[in-house]
Amino acid sequence: MYMSEQRKGDTAIVSIKRKIRPGEVVIHAVLLSCALLSIAITLGIVIILVKESILFFGSKEVRLVDFFSTTTWQPMIQKFGILPLLNATLTTSFIAVLTAVPIGIAVAVYLSEYASGKTRNTLKPVIEVLAGIPTVVYGYFAITFMTPLLRSIFGENIVEIYNTASAGIVIGILILPLVASMSEDALNAVPRTLREAAYGLGATKMETSLKVVLPAAFSGLAAAFIVGLSRAVGETMIVALAAGAGPNFTLNPFKAAETITGYIVRISGGDVSYNTLDYNSIFALGLFLFIITLTLNMISRKVVEKYREVYD
Amino acid sequence: MKKLFLTLVLVLVSASLIFAGGSKEEASKTSAPAESSTTGFEWILDSTVHGLPEVNPLNVTGNIVTAGSSTVFPLSERMAERFKDEGYEYNITIDSIGSGAGFERFTVTGETDIANASRSIKDKERVQAAEIGLDPIEFRVGTDALAVTVSKKNTFIQEATLEELAFIFSYAETWKEVRSEWPDEPILRFSPGTDSGTFDYFVEEVFDKDAEPILSANNLQLSEDDNILVQGIEGSPYAIGYFGYAYYYENKDALNILKIDGIEASQENVDNASYPLARPLFMYSDAEIMRSKPQVAAFLAFYLAYVNEEIVDVGYFPANEKVLQEARNSWLAAMKGTY
Repeated sequence: MYMSEQRKGDTAIVSIKRKIRPGEVVIHAVLLSCALLSIAITLGIVIILVKESILFFGSKEVRLVDFFSTTTWQPMIQKFGILPLLNATLTTSFIAVLTAVPIGIAVAVYLSEYASGKTRNTLKPVIEVLAGIPTVVYGYFAITFMTPLLRSIFGENIVEIYNTASAGIVIGILILPLVASMSEDALNAVPRTLREAAYGLGATKMETSLKVVLPAAFSGLAAAFIVGLSRAVGETMIVALAAGAGPNFTLNPFKAAETITGYIVRISGGDVSYNTLDYNSIFALGLFLFIITLTLNMISRKVVEKYREVYD
Repeated sequence: MKKLFLTLVLVLVSASLIFAGGSKEEASKTSAPAESSTTGFEWILDSTVHGLPEVNPLNVTGNIVTAGSSTVFPLSERMAERFKDEGYEYNITIDSIGSGAGFERFTVTGETDIANASRSIKDKERVQAAEIGLDPIEFRVGTDALAVTVSKKNTFIQEATLEELAFIFSYAETWKEVRSEWPDEPILRFSPGTDSGTFDYFVEEVFDKDAEPILSANNLQLSEDDNILVQGIEGSPYAIGYFGYAYYYENKDALNILKIDGIEASQENVDNASYPLARPLFMYSDAEIMRSKPQVAAFLAFYLAYVNEEIVDVGYFPANEKVLQEARNSWLAAMKGTY
């Protein structure tokens, strides 16, 4: 990048480029090292995760088949089935996406198609404030507001005090601004000509929004969905506080169940001795989680790329 | 102009980093000689408390490092607070890491001056200690009655036998399976995490040292955070859980405590050892450590002199006067001839 720029300078306006500007060099070096640092950190994390996971899968008590097929996770008594944790992670994420995506898209449609410039300029920052709330606050919101609310609607004997539904809904609120703003970008990227053509054919505003703009923005909306999902899978504090603290293989969202992130938090929060299976297990889970979110992010990138090609 | 500003910021940031590093070094340099220049026993007053020399915390110098049981932790924290309130100006660390890990730091790595424990030291740990030249001295500081609790909303259970507890905390699906007059509702279980000494103790007493049944149980919530357990138990009439008595004591309004084998957790039943889940709370140190670090001896003397004034308020039971006096005598024996 730098090289090519310099070469361009050499041929065109020689006198300016030749002058050495120390400030520029310093900034360039600092920025480059920042970029390299973030790559190095990512690499370091991956190396540690893989290294410790190998220790875990290498120990004779752990069989890879059991890891993916059995339904009890209790490393203390040599039971390593990731399914209960994975199931809980998927339950909370699914509920979160179910909450965030319809509302998020509705918000986006309103902001990009219906709202006047003034309304949009006041509403958008307000929605974005939601993204600035610390997740631990969301966690307490789940346990002190959402759980009692669910319990009063469905009954105290059906909804347990720690449950995945409450955590899932609150994660949905957490990812709502993300989904809404990505969806709005997608809707805004739909060319005006499409809308005008629809109006020209006599379509109402609602018909234009729902039948023309939304389908045209589909790939962008799909990307918003996937990024929201990946954020929900990795969410930790809310599930640690509200979803439960014991692995539990259940499809009932009103029961307590521990997610992958919740387990990692609980085990690393206690004082785990090094080189025990408990300790190594959290790295294996971390690696697994990393692979899930990485895959989701890669899928969303692919989707976005595809969506860019549509109108260029 | 912008560039100038950015460069300035960078210079400031790097300068502040250098300064931060420098001042830290300086601080450690100045504090070191202060510690080594004291003779150590200025804190001993002429009067005595329960046979121990009275401690003046104002004159105690040097840091104290302790680690161990999370059950002993609230008590040690309270005593350390009082020690500081009365004038101790150095650092005392109390790591709440479980009895086993506490002994590991004390006997294997020798990082700590005192180990807190909710069980006696094992022979194996004594051997390890001997290898690094330590001879651990046991100081009994109090008694915990492990509290098995249910929500105030629970009206059907007031007591359970140890056998019933074992069934409740393992394979029983519903309350009805345990006793036919109890409701046909699933049991929700809350237990301290597997790192906890309380978990170890419960497994030892109720499951004869085999953790498999309890960890195989359905609807089991494990947490190192006792407040999560309290909140969970409080939340449902069909929930049950256990922890150190101090945590029950703090949440009396929301929880009921069960009688075990018909015996209530009370001072009397703890004293006469009839409550089946009562366990002693200890601190361990070493004569050599106490002599070479007088601040450790000072803290222990202070602890043993005043522990009974604080222990009930923290939520545990005083050890009986005889064993407490034995602990004080151990202190006197360890320190004989040094001051």
